[in-house]
Parts: sequence; structure tokens; C-alpha cells
Amino acid sequence: MTTFISMLLLMLGAASPDQGGPTFWMPESASAQAPFVDHVFDFINVICYIFLVLITAVLVWFAIKYRQKKGEVNFSDDGPVHNTPLELTWTMVPLLLVVAIFYIGMVGFLDLRRSPDSSYEISVTAQKWTWAFDHPEFGVNQSGEVMVPLGRPVQFLMASSDVLHSCFIPAFRVKQDVIPGRYSRLWFEATKPGTYQLYCTEYCGMDHSKMLALVHVLPEDEFQEAMGKLATEYMDLPEQDLPAYALDRLYNRCASCHSLDGSSQIGPSFKGLWERTKSGSTVFKDGTKLSDLIGPGKTYEQPEDYIRDSILMPQSHIVANYAGAMPSFQGQLKERQVHSLVLMMKYLDRLVDDNGNRIESPSLEELQGAGDGDSGAAPGEGADNGTDADAGGGNGE
Amino acid sequence: MLAAGMVSEMTTLEAGTHEQPRLAGTNYLTHSRGIWSWLLTLDHKRIGMMYLVSVLGAFFLGGMFALLVRTQLLTPEGTIMGQDEYNQAFTLHGAIMVFLVIIPSVPASLGNFVLPIMLGAKDVAFPRLNLFSYYLWIVGAIFFVLAMVLPDGGLDTGWTFYTPYSSSAEKGTLMTGVIPALTGVFILGFSSIFTGMNFLTTIHRLRPPGMTWFRMPLFLWSIYATAVIQVLATPVLGITLALLIVERAFGIGIFNPALGGDPVLYQHFFWFYSHPAVYIMILPAMGIISELIAVHSHRHIFGYKFIAWSSIAIAIFSFLVWGHHMFTSGQSALVTVIFSAITFSVAIPSAVKVFNWLATMYKGHISWNTPMLYGMGFLFIFTIGGLTGLHLGTLATDVHLHDTYFVVAHFHYVMMGSALLAFIGGIHHWWPKMTGRMYNENMGRVAFTMVFVGFNVTFLTQFMLGSQGMPRRYATYPEDAGFQIYHVISTFGSYFMALGFFLTAAYLIASLFNGRRAPANPWGGRSLEWQCASPPPHDNFSEQPTVGDCYDFTVLEWSEEEQGYVWRSDIARPGGESAPAASEGGH
Repeated sequence: MTTFISMLLLMLGAASPDQGGPTFWMPESASAQAPFVDHVFDFINVICYIFLVLITAVLVWFAIKYRQKKGEVNFSDDGPVHNTPLELTWTMVPLLLVVAIFYIGMVGFLDLRRSPDSSYEISVTAQKWTWAFDHPEFGVNQSGEVMVPLGRPVQFLMASSDVLHSCFIPAFRVKQDVIPGRYSRLWFEATKPGTYQLYCTEYCGMDHSKMLALVHVLPEDEFQEAMGKLATEYMDLPEQDLPAYALDRLYNRCASCHSLDGSSQIGPSFKGLWERTKSGSTVFKDGTKLSDLIGPGKTYEQPEDYIRDSILMPQSHIVANYAGAMPSFQGQLKERQVHSLVLMMKYLDRLVDDNGNRIESPSLEELQGAGDGDSGAAPGEGADNGTDADAGGGNGE
Repeated sequence: MLAAGMVSEMTTLEAGTHEQPRLAGTNYLTHSRGIWSWLLTLDHKRIGMMYLVSVLGAFFLGGMFALLVRTQLLTPEGTIMGQDEYNQAFTLHGAIMVFLVIIPSVPASLGNFVLPIMLGAKDVAFPRLNLFSYYLWIVGAIFFVLAMVLPDGGLDTGWTFYTPYSSSAEKGTLMTGVIPALTGVFILGFSSIFTGMNFLTTIHRLRPPGMTWFRMPLFLWSIYATAVIQVLATPVLGITLALLIVERAFGIGIFNPALGGDPVLYQHFFWFYSHPAVYIMILPAMGIISELIAVHSHRHIFGYKFIAWSSIAIAIFSFLVWGHHMFTSGQSALVTVIFSAITFSVAIPSAVKVFNWLATMYKGHISWNTPMLYGMGFLFIFTIGGLTGLHLGTLATDVHLHDTYFVVAHFHYVMMGSALLAFIGGIHHWWPKMTGRMYNENMGRVAFTMVFVGFNVTFLTQFMLGSQGMPRRYATYPEDAGFQIYHVISTFGSYFMALGFFLTAAYLIASLFNGRRAPANPWGGRSLEWQCASPPPHDNFSEQPTVGDCYDFTVLEWSEEEQGYVWRSDIARPGGESAPAASEGGH
């Protein structure tokens, strides 16, 4: 149906053919649905231009032609005060036009809402102020960016863990609110490889305007390859590369609440967190001190256990002066990823400088022998992964 | 105290009017003196003037926030504010403009002043209730100021107070700006309801002999339709906000899913009021435009009955389209399609009104003075505002445009460019009547041009911003998306428009001191307010005026002596009795 209406509008000259590039009104178009939306938009525009020009022309014409003349002391009035055929015309013509507009708008909308059965599903979690994307098919988690296959319907199954958000990808002409407490869906079929901006368009508090993400559209074979790599990268990494992996690939989900430069945000800064943990100087909301909880036979056998617990069960101990807004990452992170985060905390001062900026090439040797777990694959693959992460393009955005 | 006894007001209509002996030649401004004679006045004209001053004060405040918002967006990374400050600035801009300015603007100020005079009445039906409404407005405004200045305040929810963001007290204390602001809106709601009830009763009960429903000036029809919406819809907002306060203060789950509530339910409740509220804002403006176009074209209004009925039709439809604010909210597809269909039905009466106004100008005698320029400016701006509503009512395109600057531009074209500019036009139209002074017409034309050009530069660019994908309520925006150039143009447009408003304020205030004394009928209007002196005497009319066709301008002629319009000497007055002469004023 959309194809037929599109053809009709094009033939009538009421829409311009889809070039894919940005136009005066619309941004680049890169999804299967975008051309129809643009055709409807163009069609409405044509109607608007006609009416606006007509009304303005008549307005200016009357204003000039019937301008009150100097010295006119009284007013003859021989104009009509009523004209049934005229009034019927200007009621019926707009009526027919809006019925047509309503109809094609509805057709396009139902198309946007009904996702094909065979779509590739991605679970999307919106949380102040980041987007997390999980690929159940590959067991891959991404955040701040998502890779999607080209030419295949993709479905976002979306949930919010705090307030209302809305997922908007202008190049695909799709948008759907993300609501806490229920799922919502959004689907598209990308038609052009490239990187596209995703915005949050439902106001969600302080960093609403920074709640952005990138959508990378990759041809099927590249997509499969990238997913394969992402799925296993941390399994294959050698132990000494795990802190850097955690900082580069996992930290952006923490970044909206935990700084690296010591500044206090929604949660405590990661800077100096390990030192505070090891010395037990952290004080909790209920007045207990961390040093009282760490030790053989106590809540936490090792200081590392406290960090692990804070990621998986953040509500069990809330640091004084903070609201305890952190959600649990239980089930979202694999064991080795949690381990990577613990290592990241321990060696953070070697990965970032005093201002929290990433040190480009941390001396990995210094980190060597740090952990006691099993060492993964050869160092060569770790380097390989580094370039892969760059290709993703989402880091530090 | 003020509310006491207002129920039986009908019978004591002249309460407060006979405290002093009436002096010949006094008007409502000089009738009694001293600050208390204003603060405790029951005179609809004085209450209207107090509303006018207060609303314009709030307009100044809201406008300042608008300029802050525009300045911030000059650069992608934000120019003058952090994220938090920006969020508060746009929230306060929106909340002040909607609740303190546009909703009360025309009905409470101009409506209060003009409506009883148009009816040939001495006052509204319930003068004490009228004063009470004004003080409710003041209390509501004080709560807004509280929300702004409280330590740890910071109202940053957007004027829509969407849940669960607004109802979760995660910033720590309860004394953030949200509860004071909600309380303020709740109280303002009552102010609005009381004003609406007052006008409904006045129009039903106090029409003069001879003024049938279809002889009322169209301004009264639109105020009537507005009052119906005010009385029926505003309580829903009050209840909704009360529920929101309860949820935020006591943690009772209504809208917050963490407490078992439903955030989309809040949106339904909120828009069930706030969509009709759009018509609370635009209907009075349409009424003003009907008066401005007819009076300044000196032509009988075209299609009177249609314009009158279309106001009622719009008022009814306005209750059935709230769901078009929620096309992407997750409501069901079926409901969405139905709301889209009903939304389009509103387009028809609106479009026909525009055609009727245009037809009124046909074969007219159009004077190009400031009120008429605002009238014509309204026609252009409202046409754009209405036509871009098509893009948003259409489902396929709304999905892309929703919550972008396209929506921002659209509702500014309707709310600001149409409703507020009609208000400004109405102030010019009735300024001689209200103050007894003529403003400088040439300055008026210059200022109109600045406001008109500035407005279009500011908001036309925002349509492109929106369709290109720029989301609303963003303190910063990506550098490479190409948004900056539009923002820069828009911001400079807003500065230019602000200059126009400052100029307007300057010459209007100046006219109070050195303006030419206004004749009773400077424009050649036929409705009753042009038959009493400028400014009107305390009781408006010394005897019951006779009503004719208020759009028949052929009976008037220009009088050099009066510098205004008077009844033609060669045509007998209706009824033949000595109707109040236009020249009866005390100057």
C-alpha cells in the first residue's frame, strides 16, 4: 500500500523522489520506511504552500485594494455577509484534503508500528543518561553505540530503568517512547551502511541532551564478524589487558554517575575508590565504616569482594551522602567482565591521569602479574581487539 | 473575607458602587482614589487593569527566560548555562507563559474590562468572585516565584510535569520547586474556573434587551466557548496535579511504576486538560481577531453564525483530541488512529474562520493602524501555525516530528504568534478605551513590524531544525548535525522581537503621560464599549443602552470635532430614544 501511494504522489508531482541525501527539510534518509514518510511530508508541504500563498496573496491584495481612503467619513457596505456556495466550497475542499492526508498518514503509521516477524531483535535499556543495547543472539552488550545489520528488519525491544525516555533515529524516521515498567517496540530496516545519530527525545532530567548513541549499520558479513568478536573478546584477552578493556568498553555505562577525576556526581567518583576500599575509610549511610565489614569471617572476605558486591547488589550498602540510585548489573555482566571492572578500579591510576583523561598507552608491563586468575590467549589478540574497539567508533563520544 | 457572600452576588450587583457620591465627569480611574480603592475594588474595569499589569509583568519574566534559552543555544556546547540551569530556564519559561500569561491573558484582562461593557452591564455577575479570582492568581504567582527562589529549589520538570521524573523525589528533599509549582498551578486553576463561571453567568443573565445570542459581538461568543472549557476541563488538571503532589510527597503510587503506578496514565490526565487549554488560549484570541478585522475594515463580519458556531464546535472537539500529544507514547495503534482522525476534524472550523476573516476584508475600508496590522499579522501567522498542524496530526510524519523543534515552532506559531499577538493587538484596540489616551500610531506600526519580522525569523527556522531532527529541551546539541546555523538565526530573530516588545512598552507607557485624549470611538466600532466614554465612567452607562447590529458600520461618520466616530446625523438611532451619546464623556 505504501508503495502504491508513493507512486501516486510522485506521479502527481506532490512529492520529490527519494535521493537518500539530506534535503532542505529532511535529514539523510537511510531506512526502508524513510522514503514513504518523506513523500507524505512533501505532499503535505505542497498543500501548505498552495494555501499559504493563496491566503497571503488575498490578504495583501485586499489590504491594499480596500485600504481606507483619506477623507472617507463614512462607510458604505455593499459587500456580501454570507454566501452559501462559497462557504460550502471552502468547507468541503479542506475536508476532502484532510481526509486524504489522514488516510496516507495512517497507512504509513501502521507500517511503522507493525514489525515483520523475522526481525533481528535487540534489547534496549534506557537509563539516565545512557543507552545500553543487548544482542541476545550473540550474548553481546553494547552501550552508547549499537551495531545493526544492513537490509534486515531490526527490532528494538525497549525498557527504561528509571524515567521516561524516547528513542529517536532521524535518519530512519522512527521514534518511540521508552517507559519504565513496560516494554515498547520500535523497528526499522536500514538501507545504507554508515553511522547515524540516536537521540533521547523525551525529557529525562539533567543530562537529557547528552543521552545520545550511535547506530552503526554494517553489511551482513561485517556485522556477523563484529558480533563474533564482541561476543568473545573479553574471554580471549590476557589478564593484563582486562583493566583497559573494562575502561574502554564497560565504563561508559558507569560514566553518567561515576567520574574518573574525583568530582562527585550521582555516585562516588572512581578516582581513589580502590584506596578508600582497601583502607576501609568509606562510610555508609547508616554510619558503619567499611573497615568494620572487611576481614575473615566478616561481610567481605577481601576488599575486592566489596567492589564486586557494589556492582551486583548496589543497594546493600549505600555510601553516605549519596541517594543510592544505582541499578544492579546482576545478569548483565559476565563473571569475567565483573572481574575486569574490579581490576580497573585497582589500576585506575595507571590508566587515567589526575584529570580523569585516558592515558593513551598505559604500560601494560606494569600491570603484569597483577591478577591470579588464568591468563587468556596470546597478547597479539589483545592488540587486535584494540583496533576493533576503535573501529566501533563509540568510545569517548 | 473576599469570598464571603459571593454566592448571592446576583442580587447585590451594585455592591460597592454607591460608597461615594458620583461626581459628574469622573471616570472609573478618577472615581475614587488611593491604593485601597484599587486593591479592594469590585469594578470589573479596575480588576481587568490589575490583571493586565500583572499578566504583562509575568510576560516580561517569561520572556527573559526565553531569551536565556535562545542565548544558550547559540553554540552547540551551550553558551551561558550548565545543563541544570538550562533545564530550569526552559521549564520556567514554559510554565510561566502557559499558566501565568497566556491562559489568563485575554479573558481575565481584556475580557474582564470589555465583556460587561459590551453587554451594556454595570459589572460582571459576581464582582466579589471576580476580585477573588484575581487574588488567587496572585497567590498562584507567588508559589511560582517560590519555586524559583527556594534554596535547593530548581523546577526542572518541563511545564508538562511528566511522571515519574516529576514525582520521584530523588533530589533529596521535598522542597524542590516541584511541589510549590504544582500548588501554584492548582491555585491558578481555581482562578481560571471562577473567571469562567463568572463570565458564563454574566453572558447568560446580563445581556441587555435586544441582544439575542446571535447579536452578541463575536468576542463574547469566543469568551463564552472559552469559559465552558475552563469550567469543564480545569478541574481535571487540578485533580491530576493533586494526585501528583500526593505521590511525590507521600510515596503513594499512582503514576510512578516503581510504586505500582502508570506514567502513561498521567499523560492522559494531563492532556485531557492541557489540550482543551490550547483552546482556552486560542479561542479568545480568535474573538479579538473577529473584532479587530471587522472594526478596522469597517465591514460587516462575514459568516457571523459560522464563526460563532465554530467557536462552540472547537470547544467541543477540543475535549476529544488529547491523544494526539501521545502518538509515540505507547498507546495502542487503534486509539492513535482514532485520535488522528478527530484531530483533523478540528482543522475545518479553524480553516473556515480564516476564510471568513479574509472575506470580511473584501470591499472593506481597511485602516492600516496598529490593531489591524496585528489582525493581519495574525491571519498570516495562524495560517502557518494551522497548516503545520497537518504535519503533526498526520501519523506517519508525526512519528518523525514529535518532540522535535518542529513541534516547538508549531505551538509557538499558535500560542505566541497567534494568541499572544492577538492579545497585544487587542491591547492596542482597547487602549484608548481603557486609558483614555491615544498611543503613537507610527511607533505602533514600527514596533509591529519588528515583532512580526522577529517572530517569523525566530520560529520559521525552528521548523527546519525540527524536521532535520533536533530534539526539544536540549541544552547542548551535536556539533556535526548542522543545527547551529538555524539556532543562530533563530536567536537573533528573538532579540529583534524583544526590541519590538520593549518599544511597544515604551510608547504605550509614554502615551499615558503625553498621549492625545481618546475620543469615545476612535476606530469606528459599533459594539457597546464604543458608545460609552473613554475611559468609561464607573457605572459604564448612565442608562441602559440600545443594541443594534454590532457589525453595521454604515451608521457611523467621522467627526472632526470629536476626532472620532459618531452616529450619523442623517440616520435616526434605533428606538428613537436618547441613547447614550458618544460625546457624553467628561472631557
